[in-house]
Amino acid sequence: MNRRIAIRNMALILGSAAVLPSCLNDNKGKSVIELKHLKLDAEQETLVNDLTETILPKTNTPGAKDLGINLFVFKMIDDCYDEKGQGDFMAGLKEFSEAVDKKHGKSFSELTAAERTAFVNDIEKQSKDPNNKDKDSKAFGFYWTVKGQTVFGYTTSKYFMTEKIVYELVPGRYNAMFPVKKKATA
Amino acid sequence: MANLNIDSVKDRTFDAIVIGSGMSGGWAAKELGDKGLKTLVLERGRDVKHNKDYPTTNMYPWEFAHHGQVTAEIREANPIVNRCYAFGEDAMHFFVKDKEHPYVQEKPFDWIRGYQVGGKSLLWARQTQRWSDFDFDGPARDGFAVDWPIRYKDIAPWYSHVEKFAGISGNLDGIAELPDGEFLPAFPLNAVEQRFSKHVKQHYQNRHVISARCAHLSKPNQIHFDQGRVQCQKRTLCQRGCPFGGYFSANSSTIPWALRSGHVTLRPFSVVESIMYDEKLGKATGVRVIDTNTKEAIEYYADVIFLNAAALNSNLVLLNSTSNRFPDGLGNDSGTLGKYVAFHNYSAHINAEWDGDKEWTTDGRNPAGGGYIPRFRNVYKQETDFLRGYAAGFSAYRYRETSSDGVGEDLKKNLVNDTLSGWKVGSHMMGETIPKESNYVALDKSQKDQWGIPLLKISVDYDDNDAKMKKDYVEQMTEMFTSAGFTNIKASTDNRAPGLDIHEMGGVRMGNDPKTSMLDKWHRLHACQNVYVTDGASMTSTSCQNPSLTYMAFAARAVDHAVSESKKG
Repeated sequence: MNRRIAIRNMALILGSAAVLPSCLNDNKGKSVIELKHLKLDAEQETLVNDLTETILPKTNTPGAKDLGINLFVFKMIDDCYDEKGQGDFMAGLKEFSEAVDKKHGKSFSELTAAERTAFVNDIEKQSKDPNNKDKDSKAFGFYWTVKGQTVFGYTTSKYFMTEKIVYELVPGRYNAMFPVKKKATA
Repeated sequence: MANLNIDSVKDRTFDAIVIGSGMSGGWAAKELGDKGLKTLVLERGRDVKHNKDYPTTNMYPWEFAHHGQVTAEIREANPIVNRCYAFGEDAMHFFVKDKEHPYVQEKPFDWIRGYQVGGKSLLWARQTQRWSDFDFDGPARDGFAVDWPIRYKDIAPWYSHVEKFAGISGNLDGIAELPDGEFLPAFPLNAVEQRFSKHVKQHYQNRHVISARCAHLSKPNQIHFDQGRVQCQKRTLCQRGCPFGGYFSANSSTIPWALRSGHVTLRPFSVVESIMYDEKLGKATGVRVIDTNTKEAIEYYADVIFLNAAALNSNLVLLNSTSNRFPDGLGNDSGTLGKYVAFHNYSAHINAEWDGDKEWTTDGRNPAGGGYIPRFRNVYKQETDFLRGYAAGFSAYRYRETSSDGVGEDLKKNLVNDTLSGWKVGSHMMGETIPKESNYVALDKSQKDQWGIPLLKISVDYDDNDAKMKKDYVEQMTEMFTSAGFTNIKASTDNRAPGLDIHEMGGVRMGNDPKTSMLDKWHRLHACQNVYVTDGASMTSTSCQNPSLTYMAFAARAVDHAVSESKKG
């Protein structure tokens, strides 16, 4: 399966097929996903793709790439973030990439899955420490933006809302007094 | 004279014309059709047919490109309408975008509009409460505006009439200041809402927390099935248009009903430029319309005209209907047209927590939204340093709490490992504002819209009374929440501009005296008696109930009067 088709299929899974097919660009060295506002090179694009997969990897359940969450993240930042938000995202992406290089001497995509996971877990850990000097850095801001949109895209995806929880379009009922015990076993 | 060669005057002549197809225009159309009058309904926007034109109604969250969120481009292009709580990816197609129909803000005013068949009745919050004489007596008792020319007994039968057809859910609460109506079963209060209701009843005089009364078919009757509507399915996605007709909208109810009468013609894409007045006859003869697609001017004629263009646009139509007899706008002998505009003050809220009733939660969704606290300030007598008072919403809820800590399998586990939050409670203020001459709308002297109609200039602001009332709401609710044992009580106020309440009213007020008001007790212009205004423009004062139900009753009552007048010849 070539990459263009794969992404189209992901777009269908995401239900955002209307916009994504026009975002494709297979030129070598350039990003594959063409966005309206963000200007990413191929390496930056790969970093974000890999970061979403690190946050939400394929295990015995689907990961970010399987579900097209990586594309959703690009789309949300490109469409729903204002100029300042996108500027912060790009600056943070650069700092994040530099921080990886400083620590490992290679790019995020060149790390093993275990190294990537360790790297982001470290950010999660440092962010919880109120005295940490890096926690307000642009690199961290970038990480939390990608994570926030990954989690949002995942928890509002068809997969999650049909197989992990049950989203009811038509509940058909309102029980004002409902025992918690009954809910737990429902 | 436009169009004489295209169609005959006869084809453009009706018994009645209704300007506007929303909450009140839909009712005027339905009543006129039921009474057999050949009626033309004019709508400036496009047609929105029940079900057929609700493109998002059955969409799942993941089917929206941004899963429900509004893009930066749309937010930035629409700073005004984007502030409306219902402006999301699922319903934005029913809202007027900022640039489409500009207006002049002499003072900040968030004018939220829905230009389509059904108007804002597709989008409303569906809360419905009757007025009582504590409301109609207000201006006379407290010395502001002018006396209402009607009282509760005049409108009560018409409340019943519209409630039975629209379908209103509520309890018979027996509260003098919030009269009971023709109710379908109420949506019950949950454990904590009930607890607060009991607490307030026991500890306060004349304060009540009741099930919010709303225009939802909790248990439909035959009259609702006859409209093609069925029971509310508790989706609470109402702003998308309801495939079940579970809540009342002109689109699901009055407009299709009117069209089925065979007497009513609906003409969308028809913006009314003015109402035409004949000096010799001493009455209005019809309306001049611009077809918004062709920009062609067309005149329609009728014996009686109902103006239901929504409050501020009804002002605009009258202001722009000038003649030798009425140089300052149709029926404007008093000089009050466009003045004494008022609204509802929604700028205070309070939130807290309740650390109990942990064994209870709710299941499904409540279309009524929870509880309602009728006005309790200054009801029986003046008791504060501000005039009038406020109603309040009250609701309690628990939600699914998850952690999004960690990455990988940890994160996946955390996201499905939900716990039920404790109870949160919240309330928001719905305050009456006092109509003043200085709060007005007028035609802009130079700027016109794409059809050559002057832009509306809006100059409406809060006053000291509003500030004092807001402070009192925060104090009283904080006190009630504290005595109920709620914790972590946080009041918040915002500086929203008027308009965001979407309850703008007045400018064409009713009154007994033609020297100080525009409309008589039947909603007719004092000075041009075949023009009726039965939407928010007619409001002499605002009280604090959600106003739509009152507009519906006004429209039905006025049609009955117009038809009985025409029978008299």
